[in-house]
Parts: sequence; structure tokens; C-alpha cells
Amino acid sequence: MGSEEESAVKEPLDLIRLSLDERIYVKLRHDRELRGKLHAYDQHLNMILGDVEEIVTSVEIDDETYEEIVRVCLNFMDFLLLLFSFKFLFIIFIHEHIRE
Amino acid sequence: MSGTGEKVSATTKTPADFLKSIRGRPVVVKLNSGVDYRGILACLDGYMNIAMEQTEEYVNGQLKNKYGDAFIRGNNVLYISTTKRTLGEGA
Repeated sequence: MGSEEESAVKEPLDLIRLSLDERIYVKLRHDRELRGKLHAYDQHLNMILGDVEEIVTSVEIDDETYEEIVRVCLNFMDFLLLLFSFKFLFIIFIHEHIRE
Repeated sequence: MSGTGEKVSATTKTPADFLKSIRGRPVVVKLNSGVDYRGILACLDGYMNIAMEQTEEYVNGQLKNKYGDAFIRGNNVLYISTTKRTLGEGA
């Protein structure tokens, strides 16, 4: 900690700027997640991601046994323009900086 | 509901002063969805966009995930609170 990179973070969007061309993890509402390389973004957090993996998790309850059934759906996309909307964009984790 | 809020720190006068004073402190950020994020507040801006370090995700009070740096878009934020709990025991 206290590295040069972190001292360059003066406002939250700097964190996004430092993540350009890195793989990031975006958590969306409704149990959707995206992992991809950040190619571009703007001040609204519209983003262009490349080499994208989308993970959609849904939990259903079996009518008879009341067991929880977890379904995971994976989609792969070469490029994705993620448009910010209040419904979707949630939280972004900077994948490359994950510490154990 | 007794008292008139006199215990508020003398240095904190407005919400903006509070936000300035908590940089670098351990905080709990609660989102509209009810999920809590605990970590060190790196910085925030006028939209309540938040950059956090050593982020931990709590769903219904249970630790679900640990992340490094996290960016939270301000529209999701319900509140930010400081925490006495020491962070990073596992680090």
C-alpha cells in the first residue's frame, strides 16, 4: 500500500482511469456479473469492454421439495458497450488489484 | 429520541465536512440493495461515487467476498458510516 498508483487516486474515477486496458469485474443488479478488459469509459461510467464474460446467476425454488436450484449462465462476447442505466450498473471491482 | 444531537463532533458541521473528514478511515457503505461493503475509504466525489480499498462484501451480515480496490457508483449508495471495527485482520 502507499504505492505510487494509489497516491494518483485523488477522486474515485481515477481508479477507473488506472484500470484502462486491465481486466475488471463489474457487478450489476439482478445477479449479473461481467468480467472483461476495460477499453474506454466516460464520466457516466458508460464503458466499452472487450473479451467479455457475462455470468448470470438465478435461484429458483423447487415447488415440491422447496430446494433451491441455482442456475448459472455464461455468455461470452468479443466486445460490449455497457450503457449506464439506473437499473443496471452497480459496482466495479478492479480485478488486477485483488489481494489475498 | 431524546437530546438534540449535541454529541456530533465539533469539527463536523455539514455532510460535506463529514465526507472530507472520513477519508482514509474504515467505513461501512450500505447500498440500496441492502448489501454492505466494508473497507478503507480511499476517496469520494460529489456524486457519492466511492473508491475503497480492502473491500469486504457482506450480504445479510455474512462475509461473502473480499476484493482489493472497488469503485461504487454513487447512485447505489444508501449511506456511508464510519466503523470502529478494525479491518484487515485476515490480511
